[in-house]
Amino acid sequence: MCGILAVFGVADNSQKKRSRIIELSSRLRHRGPDWSGLHHHKDCYLAHQRLAIVDPASGDQPLYNEDKTVVVAVNGEIYNHKELREKLKSHEFRTGSDCEVIAHLYEDYGEDFVNMLDGMFSFVLLDTRDNSFIAARDAIGITPLYYGWGLDGSTWFASEMKALSDDCERFMTFPPGHVYSSKTGVQKRWYNPPWWNPESPIPSGPYDPLVLRKAFEKAVIKRLMTDVPFGVLLSGGLDSSLVASVASRYLADSTAAQWGSQLHTFCVGLKGSPDLGAAREVADYLGTRHHEFHFTVQEGIDALEEVIYHIETYDVTTIRASTPMFLMSRKIKSLGVKMVLSGEGSDEIFGGYLYFHKAPNKEELHHETCRKIKALHLYDCLRANKSTSAWGVEARVPFLDKEFINIAMGMDPEWKMIRPDLGRIEKWVLRNAFDDEQSPYLPKHILYRQKEQFSDGVGYSWIDGLKDHADQQVTDSMLDKASFVYPENTPTTKEAYLYRTIFERFFPKNSARSTVPGGPSVACSTAKAVEWDAAWSKNLDPSGRAALGVHASAYIDNGKTATQ
Amino acid sequence: MCGILAVLGCADDSQAKRVRVLELSRRLKHRGPDWSGLYQHGDFYLAHQRLAIVDPASGDQPLYNEDKKIVVTVNGEIYNHEELRKLMPNHKFHTGSDCDVIAHLYEEYGEKFLDMLDGMFSFVLLDCRDNSFLVARDAIGITSLYIGWGLDGSIWISSELKGLHDECEHFEAFPPGYLYSSKSGGLKRWYNPPWFSESIPSTPYDPLVLRRAFENAVIKRLMTDVPFGVLLSGGLDSSLVASITSRYMAGTKAAKHWGSQLHSFCVGLEGSPDLKAAKEVADYLGTVHHEFHFTVQDGIDAIEDVIYHIETYDVTTIRASTPMFLMSRKIKSLGVKMVLSGEGADEIFGGYLYFHKAPNKEEFHRENCHKLKALHQYDCLRANKATSAWGLEARVPFLDKEFLNVAMSIDPEWKLIKPDQGRIEKWIMRRAFDDEERPYLPKHILYRQKEQFSDGVGYSWIDGLKAHAEEHVTDRMMLNADHIFTHNTPTSKEAYYYRMIFERFFPQNSASLTVPGGASVACSTATAVLWDASWSKNLDPSGRAAIGVHNSAYEKHLANGNLTTSKITDSAPMRDGVGAPGLTIRG
Repeated sequence: MCGILAVFGVADNSQKKRSRIIELSSRLRHRGPDWSGLHHHKDCYLAHQRLAIVDPASGDQPLYNEDKTVVVAVNGEIYNHKELREKLKSHEFRTGSDCEVIAHLYEDYGEDFVNMLDGMFSFVLLDTRDNSFIAARDAIGITPLYYGWGLDGSTWFASEMKALSDDCERFMTFPPGHVYSSKTGVQKRWYNPPWWNPESPIPSGPYDPLVLRKAFEKAVIKRLMTDVPFGVLLSGGLDSSLVASVASRYLADSTAAQWGSQLHTFCVGLKGSPDLGAAREVADYLGTRHHEFHFTVQEGIDALEEVIYHIETYDVTTIRASTPMFLMSRKIKSLGVKMVLSGEGSDEIFGGYLYFHKAPNKEELHHETCRKIKALHLYDCLRANKSTSAWGVEARVPFLDKEFINIAMGMDPEWKMIRPDLGRIEKWVLRNAFDDEQSPYLPKHILYRQKEQFSDGVGYSWIDGLKDHADQQVTDSMLDKASFVYPENTPTTKEAYLYRTIFERFFPKNSARSTVPGGPSVACSTAKAVEWDAAWSKNLDPSGRAALGVHASAYIDNGKTATQ
Repeated sequence: MCGILAVLGCADDSQAKRVRVLELSRRLKHRGPDWSGLYQHGDFYLAHQRLAIVDPASGDQPLYNEDKKIVVTVNGEIYNHEELRKLMPNHKFHTGSDCDVIAHLYEEYGEKFLDMLDGMFSFVLLDCRDNSFLVARDAIGITSLYIGWGLDGSIWISSELKGLHDECEHFEAFPPGYLYSSKSGGLKRWYNPPWFSESIPSTPYDPLVLRRAFENAVIKRLMTDVPFGVLLSGGLDSSLVASITSRYMAGTKAAKHWGSQLHSFCVGLEGSPDLKAAKEVADYLGTVHHEFHFTVQDGIDAIEDVIYHIETYDVTTIRASTPMFLMSRKIKSLGVKMVLSGEGADEIFGGYLYFHKAPNKEEFHRENCHKLKALHQYDCLRANKATSAWGLEARVPFLDKEFLNVAMSIDPEWKLIKPDQGRIEKWIMRRAFDDEERPYLPKHILYRQKEQFSDGVGYSWIDGLKAHAEEHVTDRMMLNADHIFTHNTPTSKEAYYYRMIFERFFPQNSASLTVPGGASVACSTATAVLWDASWSKNLDPSGRAAIGVHNSAYEKHLANGNLTTSKITDSAPMRDGVGAPGLTIRG
């Protein structure tokens, strides 16, 4: 990842302003520790903090077209940059950076090229010929982007809120899949897949295991584009295990193999946690170089302030799950690894959360998956991107590949329904697609193992420890007054209250609070899906454990799970 | 490097205090990006940010003795840790970290083990049995350390000013070579080498003894489990470090894991003298050489950041720190965590050009001693903090304790610069490595004269800085300088510019007192300014000011004369205005 900050239409071009922008840009330095650049043109500033992954030697940013009239600051990876370069034969490229195509595409296609990009990205492009600019964010919002407005008439864009929150009167999350043009003054959605529109009919495509498998393999393979050491985050669950399996299978043929043909895998957990055991088993099976990181509840609690500062949310599940990922990312980076593949998105696409067991019909299931994908940028994408970027590690998420999503979201959702009677547990379509008898991707019992919710998988006492800690710090009387102190998204638990106070300390503005979603949820569901089971609305613990009686282990050992 | 922060006896063991200590410790995260640890014992807090170089897998800190009653947080490298471990066969070590020995040495020897440590270090040791503690800093101050006092009765220790300045009523640089013991309640010097008294030594010069001592100093610094390299400016000092390293690297553990070819790094404006000189040395030695180019604008854009990190307003230090700071970021981005660097040679051997004017060997030697004692405020501070800003560790073999003993006991007659006998500055060092059979360096490099670091990166760097300061500091501001900055009043617009930035980050009085001042020419101490009557009239602190001393000045006097003359005219108005008060401060 990189960090971008752009300011347009600042009346002030003094040295003081330049220093201020450099200072604000350096708040994003964790995202791009390798180098920084600032382009200043009239009343526009484009600042960049670079994490060098493709072409480390020459790809410093901002990037330019041939005559330097078009300037781009990009955070992202364009996986199809080589094909795009083919289309731009008449152009002369200055660097080997994958992001350089953006300046040249703009020259040829104007503002309508965003859909040609295959990858994850947030960028700001300045056309110095008429001082116009565009800003865009990838389809799902894998990379973060915020925009804001200053009282001096300036428009701001930044990869993270912390770079613009102090200098903007109002700011918001930049919507994923959109492009903003200064010429029209509006943002329009460039990403328009069929599943986006809630009015379109429920998809009816057939389920072809091999098509799904191929699409996912392609999604993983294109993400092996790197000139630096990389690895896979492996929790031992289905999604990350599939990513690791496919990556290790195709590693030898990729550019990444320059760093050795043995895949590095990483897992984090409290000592003795379920994930550590499961990941070890998968790593042994795949023969990866596996790295385990143990953290203590105290270490996690000590990191909370820093986590919230980095992740920029007060959402309870996101913070619970971000903390171990944040700690692990530091260790990963200390090993010299700059990029990891990660399994986010699968649960949204296939309805992998345990509460999907209660989906009343395929229509509801499909609509819930759509809602979940659209909200990903506020939850798991935000977590995966910012917890890793906090330490200069880039997370790539093959499940959120545009083409893969098209296939997975084009199939009849009947196939995604959980049918214990037919032996179909959650995400069965994906499991079945990789159930290859001849050259198995994973051993059967792993392929068909049921989900541990991430925040439970790192160790059961993690969430209990957080709750205990919050109970000590937040009094009953504080919680009683919560609706007066925090009228918007009022925290309903002591844990939520604790996170909220930390968040407000770093980001005290109204605008900041509004970037975080709220509303009732059970086990990561949207508010709509809470209606699926009458009992849920009475027990709104957002963790996976709340979906009582759904996990197979609950069937077996109901008493134990229920008392938790 | 690592970053340490300790709060001792603050009478507050609340969660809020813990969070505050964690937050302050994070200000040192750049020094130790790899992991962090906090140990709390009542109202004693020991925090650590780790850069993992030896034993990355298990050496997380704080470190403990066997029963965890003694806790240590260390920033440093103990090169003789394996020998020390052998002295304590009955002790059980938890980790493979070189710093693990400290807790155990304390158990065995009480407070009297400091001189046994060979390396660079700053540490805080807490004895939980009686809540007593020890703080110590290495002999020369290669690692940075500050001490402060809170109004609540607490003592604060931090690797950098930024870790403690907001919480302390008063703070100071922790003196190098000293030990603070809570039991005796005071500081005492543990480092007492013969040269410290500044008496004139008389040992004759033996080239091979000097060579051997320096080789040993370099070799022991190759102790690493992670990729490393050498900062190579192409001058004598860094070239010798590179030459010895590449000669002995093959046998080291580092070479086994990371390849036996040495990486070398050089920074400069495009076309700068250093880049060319370093390339020549790198080609000769066959290193994997990396060149980094920066522009004057890149440098100016980094100044705020540099001053925040380096924590000084000293003009030459900032000039020289900026390229080093930029280069360190690039080096780190290549995955390199440690570099060897040539600091210290100029102080030990009188390498600065102004030493040409030393009136006699006694003055020469005393100036060496003064320079060495002040290193922690100048080059050590620069080398340590410019690299640590990006999680890179700098090791400085010239400041090896044993090497210092050898080099500082030589009769200083040998160090005197005698053009008539062909002895240029640092001649004894050059001679020591002049090996006809197995040359360390080609002769013309071995006997090449010094470029001052800040000039070597490109002549327009300093001119660019001055021009930038001219634009942003008005004459009116300069007129009031002595009212605003009563301590170490800036005497140039450049100095004023840096000072404004420094005061913004570190507004307390104590902070400006940590930075040295006084008259200087070309890096000299104030005493040495008296060596040449003309110097006191031209107090530009850069190397160029030592007019007529560099060989190229003898050869092309006219050309160079023009260049320097124009410099003098530039600074003329300033000299008239505030030059004189600057001189009186010196006393």
